[in-house]
Amino acid sequence: MTAAQSTVRYDSDIRRRPLVTEFQNFWRYRGLIKLLVVRDLTVRYKRSVLGVWWTILNPVLTIAVLWIVFSNFFGRGGQLDFGEPYVVYLTAGILIATYFSQGVIAAGSAIVNSRGVLIKMYIPPEIFSLAAGVAAAAHFCLSLIPLFLLVILVGPGLTWTALLIPIPLVFMLMLVTGIGLLIASAAVFFRDVLDITRVLTQLLNYLIPTFWTVDFIAASPKALALVKTNPVFSYLVVFRTWAYGGEMPPTWNIVMMVASGVVALALGVYVFSRNWRRVVVRL
Amino acid sequence: MSSGSKPIEVTDVTLRYRLEKANVGTIKEAAVRTLRRQRTTEWINALDGVSFDVDRGEIFAVVGPNGAGKSTLMKIIARVLPPSTGRVIVRGQVAPMIELGSGMNPELTARENIILYGAMLGRDPKHMRERVDPIVEWAGVEDFVDVPTRAYSSGMMGRLAFSVATDIEPEVLVVDEVLSVGDKAFRAKSQTRMNQLIHGGSAVVVVSHSLEMLRNLATRAMWLDRGRVKMLGSADDVLSGYQTSG
Repeated sequence: MTAAQSTVRYDSDIRRRPLVTEFQNFWRYRGLIKLLVVRDLTVRYKRSVLGVWWTILNPVLTIAVLWIVFSNFFGRGGQLDFGEPYVVYLTAGILIATYFSQGVIAAGSAIVNSRGVLIKMYIPPEIFSLAAGVAAAAHFCLSLIPLFLLVILVGPGLTWTALLIPIPLVFMLMLVTGIGLLIASAAVFFRDVLDITRVLTQLLNYLIPTFWTVDFIAASPKALALVKTNPVFSYLVVFRTWAYGGEMPPTWNIVMMVASGVVALALGVYVFSRNWRRVVVRL
Repeated sequence: MSSGSKPIEVTDVTLRYRLEKANVGTIKEAAVRTLRRQRTTEWINALDGVSFDVDRGEIFAVVGPNGAGKSTLMKIIARVLPPSTGRVIVRGQVAPMIELGSGMNPELTARENIILYGAMLGRDPKHMRERVDPIVEWAGVEDFVDVPTRAYSSGMMGRLAFSVATDIEPEVLVVDEVLSVGDKAFRAKSQTRMNQLIHGGSAVVVVSHSLEMLRNLATRAMWLDRGRVKMLGSADDVLSGYQTSG
């Protein structure tokens, strides 16, 4: 045995270690994840005439419609009761709601959509869900531009707390990737899972105060509890106070944000890990 | 016989999967069937106790009728499918030549596609950036490097994918049908490159229905039938045995 021994690249007896293997894969494939995110962004821009502006224009149009309909209802004279300009409040709400629903749907459909590649070459499937989540985060970053324009033009102006936005950004990425992986494993077996997800994320988005304000439901303790236990509500509170409020959000909102992000990601990765064998055989 | 250091070692591999008798593709259907206590699945062995190894410089042919498990076996070696039981060990870099070009996106330019496709095949993006020029040159599309590949003809796309996939010196080569792409001139060129790869000293597993080609190429062979090894040995013996079986 004089020939140089090649390193073992693949040994099927080396079992996956739930959580460890997946996070190693995330790190090992970071180059590919970056390329997949760039692909996602380029393909989306190239398909539309407006290019990159579409990403910014899209939320702006949604916000314009909601603003026309609800500004007289919730923000008389353009101001909320607590002095915030309604349009800024609304924009921040739509940005978080969009990040959450787009992220969950994209990460949830990523494995099924990559079937053509996954049945021909070895790539850990979880890579595609994370890349879809990161792409949603990138879109969120782009749509911060119109928000900051509004904050400067009609809002209270920029504050140093805006520098803390990467914190809710990262925890939201963990939340959508975790939930997305749970859905992605199930979507391989049942194709209606993604349709159900679309409906549920939309419902969940009505349950957080995007265009409406919490005092609107303050009379009903049950409704209030329902809204406040929704993790996405905490992301929204944290994001709003840091993006233009210039103060610290309630501690329990921060705890809720951190805990839900960590738990969702750990759970999603763990469930995927326990099922990956069935997932790849079924693909 | 087994030295324990061959590039491909497959030991007693079985791949079991559930065959859905009825197409239960939605939660609704699954729930209805569970309530009615209908059994909808049946276990099938796509591969059953398959063992073999391939050494450096060996060209190992796999033959058998349709549905014998040849493509499943290729996917198991390429790590696409995990074996249900048994063990697969692969040493060195693997180049899977199985339906090239999946993962290429028509909206991306050739340059972007080369880097992305290369990264999907497990190669370093930095290395791929340097390989763009030789790859497009070999594929004969150097004038269209920064053009979205949706403008490419299917022949150009095939040449590009082939050029990326073969731009390596793999230690393990897995070939599902020996590929050649493009027009007559390019087919000769790609055939030559394929032969260089196959004879380059790596461990090669090749699946093909062309027995004549395998006879010229292979050193050893395995005959699969309904997931089981029917014959394993020298290429001449196995290929004649398979041919006379009809």
